[in-house]
Amino acid sequence: MTTPQNPAATARPSLAARARDVLTFEWTKLRSVRSNSLTLLIVAVVTIGVTAVVAHTFAVTPGQAHGGPMSPLTESFLGYAEYTVLPVSILSVLVFTSEYSSGLIRTTFTVVPQRWTVLGAKAVTTGTAALVAGEVLAFASFFLTQAILSGRHGGLSMSHPGVPAAVLAAGFLLCVCALVGLGLGAIIRHTAGSIAATIVVIYLVAVLCLVLPSPWNTRLGRFTLPFAAYQVVTLHPQAHLFSPGVSLLVILAWPAAALVTAGILLARRDL
Amino acid sequence: MIEVDRLSKRFGAVTAVDGLSFTVRPGHVTGFLGPNGAGKTTTMRVILGLDAPTAGTALVGGRRYQGIVRPLHEVGSLLDASALHGSRTAWHHLLSIAQSNGIGRRRVTQVLQLTGLDAVAGRRAGTFSLGMKQRLGIATALLGDPPVLIFDEPVNGLDPEAVHWIRELFKSLAAQGRTVFVSSHLMSEMALTADHLIIIGRGRLLADTPTAAFIASSVRIDVLVRSPQSGALSDLLTGHGATVTTQDDGGLAVTGMDAPTIADLAAKHSIAVHELTPRRPSLEQAYLDLTGDSTDYHAGVLPEIGKPGQ
Repeated sequence: MTTPQNPAATARPSLAARARDVLTFEWTKLRSVRSNSLTLLIVAVVTIGVTAVVAHTFAVTPGQAHGGPMSPLTESFLGYAEYTVLPVSILSVLVFTSEYSSGLIRTTFTVVPQRWTVLGAKAVTTGTAALVAGEVLAFASFFLTQAILSGRHGGLSMSHPGVPAAVLAAGFLLCVCALVGLGLGAIIRHTAGSIAATIVVIYLVAVLCLVLPSPWNTRLGRFTLPFAAYQVVTLHPQAHLFSPGVSLLVILAWPAAALVTAGILLARRDL
Repeated sequence: MIEVDRLSKRFGAVTAVDGLSFTVRPGHVTGFLGPNGAGKTTTMRVILGLDAPTAGTALVGGRRYQGIVRPLHEVGSLLDASALHGSRTAWHHLLSIAQSNGIGRRRVTQVLQLTGLDAVAGRRAGTFSLGMKQRLGIATALLGDPPVLIFDEPVNGLDPEAVHWIRELFKSLAAQGRTVFVSSHLMSEMALTADHLIIIGRGRLLADTPTAAFIASSVRIDVLVRSPQSGALSDLLTGHGATVTTQDDGGLAVTGMDAPTIADLAAKHSIAVHELTPRRPSLEQAYLDLTGDSTDYHAGVLPEIGKPGQ
């Protein structure tokens, strides 16, 4: 009796084939959990609703368009910044922690033993889904807000200098926060702790900086995601914060740090 | 072929696996036996690259598992059948795993039919009974049609019909020339399923032997005899070549002589016999004696069982 020989086992698949394997693996897992798409749908409805209410309030409050830190542009993303970013970041946390809590993570790393490859595939699929959702909702929020404002104080149009880049940046921030959540989920492995850590990193560190005495509030605050996000989305960057270019680097550094730490720990830990 | 060589795994102060060496060969169902906590699952996790060994190596088909690309074609495994996302359907669970190794949808349908799950493939895995989850886990292991299969406690909590099905499946997989490595803490189950046994306790090898040899060497037959004149009877039986041990309760444990011969001898010498019971210690008892706490754990203390690799 001979040992069965499997032709697929002996032929070494190309890098592209392996990438397709792992990406479809993660994508099927992501799309086949109904609560993911359901949550995304609810997020979209709530974000649009809140954005409409905020725009209306802004429109009927005299003088808002000219004073204060809020402009017709940043105003567009108030609903998005909370009701899209927070739930999507939490869904991204679950990409790793739900597998750890069910034990499925062992199956995942048994069928794909290359741990960085799995981390990369999860980051690409989750990041892409978040990027698409982020851009759709950022543009929808912008157009809805400007449509409501145009009847009152006059909204911004897409042809206004700097506006397309700002809206694109707002959408991209969802991808950034999703990857921070994904990385923290892989680092902490427990759902509750990872969600708490993600909220701290994405929001609360910045809130803490706000209560510090000047100039420490902005000196430290400019390293946080919300301050850096403000700088890249607004048309009028604050002079005492980082420039939009440096702020973009700050924005990229957070998910990079989370994913690199996650990769180092994944490679070292037992499962 | 699975080769484990001087494998050790420590978790802090706890040594789960302690210098373990054995080889699992193709064409057999090899039972991996030991009490709970003996280190079976840890050993399997190291073989599958999930845990890093503290020392030693574990190779599958001559290679470290971590280096295998598309491993489902070489090793199928089931560690924990309940490790599922409860809201994902059985179909999507299997499909995602198949895709991870470049396996097509047709094969997913095949393994669902093979395990009798095709009718419930669209149901969410969280609604499955333990038996159905075990079948789903076995379907996963079979996806890549691999020459090596590893199962951790696959019959735990299953009804007799399912146990029978799994037993026959393992035997047929081994008959096709595959390496089938199955852990269990139940000697009785392994005696029926496995034709080779690797028994460990406290992370060390206790026995590596064909099942038949283990049964033959472990099961001693003796006869329990009770008599008001046990001293005289003991002398008589010893005089005729039997070995007699007096038990704590006064009964005589007689080996080397069967019950009719003992009865005839006693009658001839007018010694009353109150009880005469042939005893056959169970295989389970032999296994418990081997793995029990009272023993000093060494494969060498059981030379009659056979050397590793026989």
